[in-house]
Amino acid sequence: MKARAFSYVCPATVAEALDAFAAAGSEASFIAGGQSLVPALALRLQAPECLVDIGRIAELRGISQDGEWLRLGALTRHVEVHDHPLIAACAPLLALAAPFVAHPAIRNRGTLGGSIALADPASEFPAMMLAVAAEMEIAGPAGRRRVPATDFFQDLYQTAIEPGELLVAIHIPVARPGHRCAFDEFARRRGDYAIVGCGVMLALPADVVNEARIAFLSVGSTPLRARAAEAALNGRPLDAAAIRDAQAALASDLDPADDEQVPAAMRLHLARVLLGRLLGKIAAAA
Amino acid sequence: MSPEIRLSTTPAHARHGSSIGQPLTRRDGALKVTGGARYAADNHPEGMVHAVLATSSIARGRVTFLDLDAAKAHPGVLAVMTPANRPPLAEDPDAKLHPFMFRLDLLQNDLVRYAGQPIAVVIAETLEAATEGAALLAPRYETLPARVGLDGDTPFIPAAVGIGNPAEVRIGDVEAGLAGAATRIEAVYETPAQYHNAMEPHAIVAAWDGDALSIDTPSQALAMAQGRIAGLFGIAPDNIHIRSPFLGGGFGSKGFITGPQALGILAARMVGRPVKLVLRREQMYGPVGHRAPTRQRLRLGVGRDGTLTALGHHAKTTSSTYDDFFEPAADVAHTLYASPAIATSHEAVRIDTGTPLFMRAPGEATGSIALESAIDETAWACGMDPLAFRLKNYAEVEPISGKPFSSKALRECYAQGAERFGWSRRPFAPRQMRDEDGLLVGWGMGTATFPALMFQAEARAVLKRDGTGVMESGTHDMGQGAWTAFAQIAADALGLDMARTEFRAGTSDLPDAGIAGGSAHTATAGMAIHHAGAAVIARLADLATGDARSPLFGAGNAGVVARDGRLFRRGDESRSESYGDILARAGLGEIDARGTSAADPDAQASYAMHAHGAVFAEVKVDPDLGQIRATRLVGAFAAGRVINSRLVRSQYYGGMIWGVSFALHEQAVADPRSGRILNANLGEYHIPVNADVPALEALIVEEHDPHVNALGIKGVGEIGVTGTAGAVANAVWHATGRRCRRFPIRLDDLLTGR
Repeated sequence: MKARAFSYVCPATVAEALDAFAAAGSEASFIAGGQSLVPALALRLQAPECLVDIGRIAELRGISQDGEWLRLGALTRHVEVHDHPLIAACAPLLALAAPFVAHPAIRNRGTLGGSIALADPASEFPAMMLAVAAEMEIAGPAGRRRVPATDFFQDLYQTAIEPGELLVAIHIPVARPGHRCAFDEFARRRGDYAIVGCGVMLALPADVVNEARIAFLSVGSTPLRARAAEAALNGRPLDAAAIRDAQAALASDLDPADDEQVPAAMRLHLARVLLGRLLGKIAAAA
Repeated sequence: MSPEIRLSTTPAHARHGSSIGQPLTRRDGALKVTGGARYAADNHPEGMVHAVLATSSIARGRVTFLDLDAAKAHPGVLAVMTPANRPPLAEDPDAKLHPFMFRLDLLQNDLVRYAGQPIAVVIAETLEAATEGAALLAPRYETLPARVGLDGDTPFIPAAVGIGNPAEVRIGDVEAGLAGAATRIEAVYETPAQYHNAMEPHAIVAAWDGDALSIDTPSQALAMAQGRIAGLFGIAPDNIHIRSPFLGGGFGSKGFITGPQALGILAARMVGRPVKLVLRREQMYGPVGHRAPTRQRLRLGVGRDGTLTALGHHAKTTSSTYDDFFEPAADVAHTLYASPAIATSHEAVRIDTGTPLFMRAPGEATGSIALESAIDETAWACGMDPLAFRLKNYAEVEPISGKPFSSKALRECYAQGAERFGWSRRPFAPRQMRDEDGLLVGWGMGTATFPALMFQAEARAVLKRDGTGVMESGTHDMGQGAWTAFAQIAADALGLDMARTEFRAGTSDLPDAGIAGGSAHTATAGMAIHHAGAAVIARLADLATGDARSPLFGAGNAGVVARDGRLFRRGDESRSESYGDILARAGLGEIDARGTSAADPDAQASYAMHAHGAVFAEVKVDPDLGQIRATRLVGAFAAGRVINSRLVRSQYYGGMIWGVSFALHEQAVADPRSGRILNANLGEYHIPVNADVPALEALIVEEHDPHVNALGIKGVGEIGVTGTAGAVANAVWHATGRRCRRFPIRLDDLLTGR
């Protein structure tokens, strides 16, 4: 378990980081918490010639609220998402998902930006970006831009971040008092990557669902939004019939593949059970 | 009559103040938790360099190209060992001189016979450079289609299964028994390939000095390792010094010196410097043995009264194309249940895999989950409680041989386990119980069994004038607590307390302690220690009783008892003398004696010898998700005398956890096209984590066995796996009403009924 040799730089600002990356050519890799990259290096699944460590860049840290938006620096650690009062108040779905992210030791080191930039379809936070309608702030040689989550995740481990660009922050609309959310996932063994996971966020003004956003992990090559299921709910009371329709609609939202763990039909079944339970939980609490 | 036998009739444990039986904590525990215990790979002799294996990514074919130039050009790389330049060996690695000798892949040619086979070794100044050098070899192959799995080739009947067991055994007429039965069950069960995956991978640090070889490597059988290496390298066994004070688990995979360990020795010879070679986790899935998959067909017939009329157990398994080891899965049916007709048979296919080998309860583990499932199915079909059915068919003598058991407290195991578990409250039908969260709850049971074996061992005992004693036997501590249990036996054998007894173990220059395998280490080496102690006490007693100045003069050997560093005249406690005084008067600094042990052929011929147990399991199943959690396990085991109940319970716990793993988690998946193991890591090869391990209880059921050996010890290392796996599977049926016959049980099996 030894990585191929690489060089290492540790810039102090975003601009320096972008320069360092550009100077190294295409064989560089940014490293933040290292919880995915370091094992990948050790297993030689990746062999960059240069690591650009962004861990000391102050601008990438911190959680702050600015009016309707919550800003999370890319270096926000999973444990901060788990514990921070602003997250609990303004983005409660992330707080619900955080305990499911790996194990405490990994949550102490791993970063939110790293997880989202890697875009593992089996990870909790990338999928939850869809449910909370987050926007990713990306810095590059040409300046900065913001990309909505729905455009951000493009294919397996493929995001809107171009080579040489750096994810610097995540912006999330502050949840309003009428918003409800729920998260759960299912793994054969505790702490494993989920076979299926699901996060739900919706508003329930006057007991009628609107703005339903349902996001799944581990059911495809990217985090997925279940738009047909959302449509089955929007504008209706959150009753048993609506929940059944949303569960049924998943057939057109999700098209999982057979894999070593479970057959595709089983995965769809599990997704339906999870969604039904989450919606039932929200309805019961309402 | 030898002094050993005479003294063993008043065994140490029967005397006052015995160390045997005390639940001592591990003597090496503090070393291990502080990192002070030195495992093989912790050794770094001066000038040591590193070797890394390059392994085959195909399962069958030939290596046609290795980029030697690229590897050699990498800074720090010292040499690349291939079939073209590998130092010569004195013995063909493909020679098989006896059944305990397994063929090794030591770069004897360019042929590939399984995925993960070593095809080159890169030696470099640093581990990083050797790793990079191995990656740079970028091998090319001529690839032949891989033969994979139980249907990978044409089956045949092996000449023998396990070590020398007949492939087919029968008593009575199974077909007639089935024909005349009121109830018949026929079912097919499948178990997957499993890999030992000891926490510590196989590792070796080897250093040559002329023809003398010094080795740090984990071994479950030091003397066998010494002999094998001596043969391969053409040097005298005495010229090989192996240190193996601690093993980070073995489970059978460190019973024989493996190919990678021998390659480490070859690498050291090639570069003339000490070499360290450590397998990476994924390299453990090929050249160091595994448990072969099985497909087992069980046929049971039962009369109207609920007694078995026939028991047929047929097992198909796999082995490698180049060596013979056949998992003796069906043999478990020989001993457990009374039946007038029993037939066991085996068939096998040869596939492109590393040779399967002994893995914790080889045969018993695979056979038990099938047999215990089938017994459960049969009990249900007969309308009988599974425990009542087992008691109805209780074997009073060993069914296959008709021999009486040397001891068998299985009834007590059933009773105590059932009582503790609350079995009497079990509803007969499945799918009757739910917990407060709506989860389905099921209760199942299984019978555990493992033979009580004895191998051969030797020990040397020393008594010193300062009142201390030394016991030497090259025993093997795999984590099971050998350092502690043998020291307890040694202290009693020497008539000393633990503090004045030095126990030396774990190196090959000590007397041969046999094999830490077959659950027989404590019995075998323990008896050698017991006899060595008796022999040295006999010498001491001769000195005292023959000396007119001793208070023991004239007592005669049989009239002396050793206790607490003194010899006492039997029946007259007022007459005694300390070991030190006896030796001092004789002008001796110390005296020593040796003891040996082996199975008693007369006892073996007269009695069937087995440990037994009963395991009760509770599982909870989510009715929508199929998620299975084992929530409670109670095992009750009878395995003769218990030297240290704390260590014995740990062995039972470990076995029971393995049983849960067998039923619900563990499986190596081979790619049907390439023959590669797809999940050759601990992330995807599932073993239970702490959160998966239920509340465990292991009850020690008292059993006195006067026949297995003088100490009355049976083995406890493997039995826990058996019984447990079936109990969990039966509990899943009881929870859900679904009978899963393919292991591990998957959640989709429960939901889709595959």
